[in-house]
Amino acid sequence: MAVETGRQTPATEPAEKGPGSARALGSGAWTLLKRFLTLREGSVIVITLVTAIYFAATTDRFATVDNFKSLLPYFAPVAILAAGEVYLMINGEIDLSIGAVYLFAPFMFYEFHNGGIPLIAALVLAMVCAMAVGLINGLFTAVVGINSFITTLGMLLTIEGLTLIISHAQPVDTPGTDVAKQTTFASIFGQGIYSQLIWALVIVAVLQVVLSFTRWGLYTVATGGNRLGASEAGIKVRVVIIRNFIICSLCAGIVGVLESVRTSSVQPDPSGANEVLFDAISAAVIGGTLLAGGSGTVVGALIGALFLGILRDGLIIKGVNADYLSFYLGLAIIIAMAANTYVGRVRKRSGVAA
Amino acid sequence: MPPDAPNTAGEHVVAPQSAADDVLRVEHIAKRFGPVVALRDLNLHVRKGEVLGLLGDNGAGKSTLMKIICGFQRPDEGQMFLHGESYEPHSVDSARKLGIDAVYQDLALIDELSVFHNMFLNRERVQSPVPFLANRIMRKEAREALDDIGVNIPRLNVPVARLSGGQRQAIAVARTVHSEADILLLDEPLAAMGAKEGALILDLIARIKDEGRVSMIMVLHNYVHVLTACDRVNLIQDGVITLDKATAETSVEELTEIVVEEYRRARRAANAPPATAA
Repeated sequence: MAVETGRQTPATEPAEKGPGSARALGSGAWTLLKRFLTLREGSVIVITLVTAIYFAATTDRFATVDNFKSLLPYFAPVAILAAGEVYLMINGEIDLSIGAVYLFAPFMFYEFHNGGIPLIAALVLAMVCAMAVGLINGLFTAVVGINSFITTLGMLLTIEGLTLIISHAQPVDTPGTDVAKQTTFASIFGQGIYSQLIWALVIVAVLQVVLSFTRWGLYTVATGGNRLGASEAGIKVRVVIIRNFIICSLCAGIVGVLESVRTSSVQPDPSGANEVLFDAISAAVIGGTLLAGGSGTVVGALIGALFLGILRDGLIIKGVNADYLSFYLGLAIIIAMAANTYVGRVRKRSGVAA
Repeated sequence: MPPDAPNTAGEHVVAPQSAADDVLRVEHIAKRFGPVVALRDLNLHVRKGEVLGLLGDNGAGKSTLMKIICGFQRPDEGQMFLHGESYEPHSVDSARKLGIDAVYQDLALIDELSVFHNMFLNRERVQSPVPFLANRIMRKEAREALDDIGVNIPRLNVPVARLSGGQRQAIAVARTVHSEADILLLDEPLAAMGAKEGALILDLIARIKDEGRVSMIMVLHNYVHVLTACDRVNLIQDGVITLDKATAETSVEELTEIVVEEYRRARRAANAPPATAA
């Protein structure tokens, strides 16, 4: 504002001051823009906003509260999954088995509860099972030394298969939910309109704080950036990797239960689970986390998930033929990533921070 | 003590030696990697405040020796003594707790992390009761530590990827000094460095030496650097120390002659029928 008035006053001042202050204004705006873009999440925020504005301008139903509510299930579960995945991707690893854990955990929840274990205890045990999958992934990757892509691909199939075996490929009613009315348990764990959103925001916030402000986060970046160097510095890199596999699986387990509570039924549907897996990895990558490791952001993954949610929801509102949906989604992801990379390059040139 | 007489294979192998103020003694260390013998019956000692230069060809076993001393690898045979007591580090951490720290050839710096995070890596200061990283304290202490040894890095919160080779090396050295280590292992601290940056590091080493608290073992390739920076030089050939002399008593010519002699001997051995075993 102050700059604005400064530009209007010089009616009585020497003429050569005009272009100078205009340049000052331009460079001020540029500095501000640069500072924004130096946020690792800056570029994905811009791209998400542009997408949202496009849909808001071209449809009349996009910018409504109802639509926001219907968008939530597209985005909150993916955000939680992506948040966990980010930890592993910063480590330079990847976890493909989250799709399977997402499927498996609610069935374990059901089985435990069916076996007479109280609701919350059964839920906790199901989460322990999810973490056990992460532990196994971690051990095979960090100790046995199998590439995590292969370990978790194997685990994806194994756990999906196991889920089909224990469920006999039949859907079941989610424990603690009631089709007739919404129980307190159900409204906390997914059925409440904003329940999933709150879970997502809390998990993302916690994981981002741990990543940015604690040793755990520092060691995660160090291990991903220079594994040999980190171990030479005395960091127990195997423990770091195993720990992150466990966190990633836990996130997947939580999402599995939240989704099954939201829909009141546990579905043994591997293809749906795989779609969730790809969305989560896409969200993490779009959010600015490198597949190569050493760098990443949980908040970025949340925004990446929001971008994917907006895109899917917006395309549906625009009435895009279901057959075209994947096609457009795929193209949009590639274009968004290209824009992201370009903005990232601008950011690097600005030389403010990595 | 002069080097021992040549053995049957024509090598001068240095027997265990010691001085009253030894901080570290390494005796009869051997290490194999499968069929490859990296070290065999290796002996060396370092006195307090001394800078010991290690020379040797690629593959002679210098890096293996460094990694054994700093606890990254364990020897197959032999013993080490730290301040006269048996020293058997089982990890980098345990060696570090006893005051031995290493600057590796690959620097062990994390490009993505800031200067001060690198300086405090695995020794982070945290707040209480919530164990968040105490970044402000670390940045301040890092600044003080760097000022102490005269290293000028303008900004400590930039990722180390942004720094030059010399600055990176200086940070790696400063990190170990700052860790209160009293024995520093430097693996080729001047590798891949321009004359100006090399001078920066040599300067830094000289300053640390002048303080007299820290002993250093330094792997170097350049004989001139060895003669300027070190008090004593050990030559390592085929996994054993074959020369142990004060730098004041040797010269570039002598060191060159020994290495060339080894080359000639190797050629003779290749042409002649197998010599009697050592």
